[in-house]
Amino acid sequence: MIKYLLLLPIITALLGIVAKTQKQIETISIIGSACTLIFGLALVSEVFRYGTINTWENILFADPFSAFLVLIVSLVGFIISVYSIDYMGHEIQNGVIDLKKLKIYYVFFHLFMFTMLLVGVTNSLILWIAIEMTTLFSVPLITIYTKKTSIEAAWKYLIICTVGITFALFGTILTYYATIQVLGEGGSELNWASLLAIADQFDPTLMKIAFVFILVGYGTKVGFAPMHTWLPDAHSEAPSPVSALLSGVLLNCAMYGIIRFHTITSASVGTEFTSNLLIMFGLLSLGIATPFIIMQDDYKRLLAYSSVEHMGIIALGFGFGGVLGIFGALFHMFNHAVTKSLMFSVAGNILHKYETKKIYEVSGVVKSMPYTGPMLVIGGLAITGSPPFSIFLSEFTILAAGFSQGYILTSVLVLLFIITIFVGFFNHINRMAFSKPPEGITVGDVSRWSLGAMLILIVLITVTGVYIPPQFSDMIMQVVDVVR
Amino acid sequence: MSDVIVPGLIQSLIALILASTFMLLGSKRLYTCVRIFGFQSLLLALVAALVAYSTGKNELYIMALLTLIIKAILIPHIFIMISKKIGVKREIELYVNIAPSLLIGGSLFVISYYLAQSISISVPQLNNALPVSMSMIFIGPFMMISRKKTLTQIFGILIMENGLFLGTITLTSGMPLIVELGIFFDVLVGVLVMGIVVFRINETFETTDTDELRTLIG
Repeated sequence: MIKYLLLLPIITALLGIVAKTQKQIETISIIGSACTLIFGLALVSEVFRYGTINTWENILFADPFSAFLVLIVSLVGFIISVYSIDYMGHEIQNGVIDLKKLKIYYVFFHLFMFTMLLVGVTNSLILWIAIEMTTLFSVPLITIYTKKTSIEAAWKYLIICTVGITFALFGTILTYYATIQVLGEGGSELNWASLLAIADQFDPTLMKIAFVFILVGYGTKVGFAPMHTWLPDAHSEAPSPVSALLSGVLLNCAMYGIIRFHTITSASVGTEFTSNLLIMFGLLSLGIATPFIIMQDDYKRLLAYSSVEHMGIIALGFGFGGVLGIFGALFHMFNHAVTKSLMFSVAGNILHKYETKKIYEVSGVVKSMPYTGPMLVIGGLAITGSPPFSIFLSEFTILAAGFSQGYILTSVLVLLFIITIFVGFFNHINRMAFSKPPEGITVGDVSRWSLGAMLILIVLITVTGVYIPPQFSDMIMQVVDVVR
Repeated sequence: MSDVIVPGLIQSLIALILASTFMLLGSKRLYTCVRIFGFQSLLLALVAALVAYSTGKNELYIMALLTLIIKAILIPHIFIMISKKIGVKREIELYVNIAPSLLIGGSLFVISYYLAQSISISVPQLNNALPVSMSMIFIGPFMMISRKKTLTQIFGILIMENGLFLGTITLTSGMPLIVELGIFFDVLVGVLVMGIVVFRINETFETTDTDELRTLIG
């Protein structure tokens, strides 16, 4: 099952290369991502029903945590590929890109999907290769417009993330060294479960150094402050569907890497060391994102900084630990992926209508765009953590974990940051959504495909906000057992 | 007899690798930098081959060969090709001058030496390799922030990669082959992608100066 899941995006990309017309590429892309979603869901149900899968010379490995990531990647990937049809079609119509560029877009879109799926279903060593590949394959997506700003963003992204990831490789090598000290040479069982089983025999000092390298390395890719500087640039300069993928899915992939090593390192040196580091980076990210959100004048950068904030909250959840904290953090990973994709889709629609990214040049979206407007308000409420949407639940769970684990001061600080961000963020949304639309803006919205994709996202965040289906919470509980 | 010669040879090669890192920090001409990097990769390939010889791990020979082909020959060629195509100046422009650069490099080495002390090493004849490898991992990013041109920033990453490779053979005498191959693939693709982006930067900005890449702030 894993092999087919990984093959699908590659086949889709290859078919995309030979496609001749716009219609063909779009059809291939939609069918490809739909099949990826179906196989992803099949893998998820297989793992949750029959347990861990370990195949292909121990290189491919899937346990509940992997399945959880695969679920996020394939679900958001499918929805965004549907959204892409309209968005990129609009660019073609207006002559911003040509057919060749469109082909590049869809080919790399699916290759990017492949690398992110690989992150989820592989062992500790290949993980590094997969995460580095996510950077390399997403650069062509960011530079698709060949504008000055997007190339600058791509360069920063490439350089900063490559350096970060090189640190992570050193951490991975140190962990591998710790493994062969226990297993001896030729210990080929390097998947997460077997590493965890022997983690208590690892040399603690070594593991501490390794974890610091991993945390700084993959943390760069997650967008932890102060290594987050590439993130607002790349997220704001990429086409909106790509921003959604980068923010909603890619950041989660890097977070997944950190949490895997967090589990192993805690088994070796005790939870305190890694948890404190996670809490530190989480709080710092939250603190640095706050002023940038309040002062922001570009709505795509606003969303990017909001991603820094939410990654910080997820790190805090894992740092607080306990069943409650980890449950909250995992639930938040899912919620953030879905809500942020919605917000970037909304931002894409607004960008096409108003042709500006400046917040103060956008007004009256509710009047000028009858469907996107309400979605902007709903998404804005959801992303800032208001009830009855799912992010409220997960943030509440994480805070409850913080208070119950005795991190009183940290939790109070987090609460203050979240409230400040709510006020600042909603101030921007308010300005954009209500008041009078500028002269010369016609009333009208984007086509049905995009709106349909966005509607699915809204249903997801509202349903999980009021009622978590027992199967879903059961699934997260199984992941909690793996991560703990 | 080889028991005495091989470890000694490895030690001196590692010393040369360290020296070449500092030469890179201290040189101001682009082509010299490319040559030094090629030379360093050659030394690295020799170390890998010698470790393969002394530990009897045949996989490492493949890695030595790949290092030779990709890092010592292919990547320097790509570099010279790119620099000719976009016509960069031969002089490397620096934010930090050579003397302070070397001083900072030296202190990074001292830090790495102390950090490496806390990790015990499996192959005794490689005792000095870990501090060298770690210092290369730290000097790489420093080189990137101290240089103005995008093309020369790539050197920083390559130095880090070389340091990492030295680290893998030092600590573990090689990771599983498929992993090493994957890492090589990533490095090669990485350099290619960076080359393409440098082209694009040159096309759109008509310069490869990083000073121009400063519009996105806040």
